[in-house]
Amino acid sequence: MTGNLIYVYCIAEALPRETGRFEARGVKFVVSGGFTVIVKLVSEDGFSEANFRQNVSDIQWLEKNAREHIEVILMVMEQGAVIPFKFGTIYQTEASLKQFVADYSASLAENFLNIRGKEEWSVKIYCDRKALNEKIDELSAEAAAMEVQIRASSPGKAFLLGRKKNELIENEIDRLCKRYGHEYFVEFKNLSESTKISNLIPKEFTGREDTMILNATFLVDKSRVAGFCSVADALRSKGRNTGISVEATGPWPPFSFISIKEKQ
Amino acid sequence: MYDNEIDRSKEITILELLDRVLNKGVIITGDVVISVADVDLVYLGLKLMLSSVETMEQLKSGQSIAGKNKQVNQAMQ
Repeated sequence: MTGNLIYVYCIAEALPRETGRFEARGVKFVVSGGFTVIVKLVSEDGFSEANFRQNVSDIQWLEKNAREHIEVILMVMEQGAVIPFKFGTIYQTEASLKQFVADYSASLAENFLNIRGKEEWSVKIYCDRKALNEKIDELSAEAAAMEVQIRASSPGKAFLLGRKKNELIENEIDRLCKRYGHEYFVEFKNLSESTKISNLIPKEFTGREDTMILNATFLVDKSRVAGFCSVADALRSKGRNTGISVEATGPWPPFSFISIKEKQ
Repeated sequence: MYDNEIDRSKEITILELLDRVLNKGVIITGDVVISVADVDLVYLGLKLMLSSVETMEQLKSGQSIAGKNKQVNQAMQ
């Protein structure tokens, strides 16, 4: 469905080749000031401000359109660097879109310089607290010491110490999660140009049993992507024994590594 | 050649999807007539994820909304 609003996917440095693939999806190109803006005409029904607010609360509408957003950007990205826009950015006229490109051209150029030849990779690390709990005497000297003390104590004292140990275990698991998260982060950071740490996503939203302990994004030079993936594979195998699960995905459009500043 | 994990997986999970497209990317104010930058999409996204978890629970408990939520359900697995 077409309309009169201009929905922006991303900006590329050149007009993509094989435009037929894009046109089949209703995607159009606005060439302006040495950049190509990848857009689609959308209707007021979907994207007027009021309707948009309404529509995004429909999970199916949101998922369909968010997928479309990322798919188009990934198609453009196959051919070169892109500056991705946040989902749902709308311009009312081509003139105002072109004005934006003109006003921000220096910043756009600078961003392309930063992201060209690099890929965004996401790493989410989860920890199975139960698995850590089962191995806590191996993993924590303090927990092990308390276990020795418990075994040498009378039943009454052992009971009290046992309760104390449970508290200690929770703290030790927190500490271990933090430590593993940091250790794994550093492994990936060493292979990256730039990093961003995002908020951890709570269990009820991940739909997983284990707990997220790291949500990070890395900007990786293409020459180091293979190494980055090997590290992910190695850490995934290593983590399996300790209840740590490593999920690396990419390459994503560099959503996390662009910063657009208005011309001074 | 390295493995492209986005291509390898059949479908990007809705979690990864929303975590990226709703929270990040160029956010312009001023030039754009309609900007969603002021919608709290972080909150909204999480709320929606929660609702899709609920959908999944409903499906599990047999209140099937045949086919309609299949995609969401699969994505959450």
